[in-house]
Amino acid sequence: MDASLLTIQPNAPEPIYRQIVEQLRRLIAGGQLAAGELLPSVRDVAGFHAINPMTVSRAYGLAEAEGLLERLRGKGMAVAATRRASQSENQRLALLEPQLLELARHARELELSAEPVLRRLTRLLDD
Amino acid sequence: MNAILKETASTIAPLTARGLTHCYEGSNVLRGVDLALEPGSVLGLIGRNGAGKSTLIRTMLGLLEPLSGEARVFGEPALKLSDDAKARLAYVPQQPEALAWLTAQQMLDYVGRFYPRWDADFAHRTLERWKLQPNKLLAKLSPGERQRVDLIRALASQPELLVLDEPAAALDPVARRELLREVALRAGESGTTVLFSTHIVSDLERVASEIAFLHEGRLILRCGVDDTKERYARLWLPAAKSAAAPTQALSRRRHEDGSLSLVVERDAQDHWPEAASLPGARIDALGLEDLFVEIAE
Repeated sequence: MDASLLTIQPNAPEPIYRQIVEQLRRLIAGGQLAAGELLPSVRDVAGFHAINPMTVSRAYGLAEAEGLLERLRGKGMAVAATRRASQSENQRLALLEPQLLELARHARELELSAEPVLRRLTRLLDD
Repeated sequence: MNAILKETASTIAPLTARGLTHCYEGSNVLRGVDLALEPGSVLGLIGRNGAGKSTLIRTMLGLLEPLSGEARVFGEPALKLSDDAKARLAYVPQQPEALAWLTAQQMLDYVGRFYPRWDADFAHRTLERWKLQPNKLLAKLSPGERQRVDLIRALASQPELLVLDEPAAALDPVARRELLREVALRAGESGTTVLFSTHIVSDLERVASEIAFLHEGRLILRCGVDDTKERYARLWLPAAKSAAAPTQALSRRRHEDGSLSLVVERDAQDHWPEAASLPGARIDALGLEDLFVEIAE
């Protein structure tokens, strides 16, 4: 995996370490990152995105505690072997829950009914 | 919040301020500032123009005598720093003026002799990368170019404590990113302690481990960057519920329709104030920039 695969938005309300864990979770659940695949070093990620290395360490540590990653001696972090490459549809859908809640809230604020929102969403997903 | 400020006998804080006050022509610029930096931390100092950021930095380094209070660098009184302490410290002011009769290269060669860990190779490479003419007199460079040369001077000395006053203003986005990368990696790998002031909040969010908001001469918030984003939010209450607003809030703004916006903090159990669960109430996560604007307005 390359450090450029991660997207960092420093000014988002979500802390950078959470952004990293969230993306790793999605990439692993979706199978873009296979079990055993090595992650870029803390230095590479920090250097590429010009972020504090401690933030990256914190994200990796959290992902390790969650069982997403494991530390390979002498090699660094890798996607945990015990993790199946792709999870069930429900598990993957659960990862989308925060964004769906946010979307639903915005739609209600705009007084949009479900139908046009779903139509647009379907188009976006088909692209 | 204060847990971050923990001091132990074994680690001398590279930079501390106690009760610093200062005033210019009768108006108070600093009204009692306490601040301590842990070794290896990156503290972003933020505040509006005129909030007193440069004055605070200069007073902390002993370049300005405070009206009251005391600043220390590596445990020594800032106003009486030893040569040894000075060699471990690098400061880049907003408008460097020293040694203007030398060329950039001459200045770097000259000051390099005073620093035991001078990285001449870095200085040479970075002059080239930041498109600075090594043989032009410093006096003939634009203010931005002068600050760029001074940033190179500061970084090449491989300091233990690096203090930058608004470094972003002099740099284009590519060079700025490069500076941030240097700051982040040096703090993370060599344990360099960094204090920098800026009004570009996203720079601070990238590399800072902590932020300090300076507002009208006072530090009104001092917190880890991640913590700040997770602890504070904006609570919006419709007019009918605004009487139930919590009394404790960092800022409070009434809108024309009678609704109320407050910046609120989670309590010790990580809960938002009770009013957040009232019907119609809303909690919005805030980026640092929004938080800053809400508080400083």
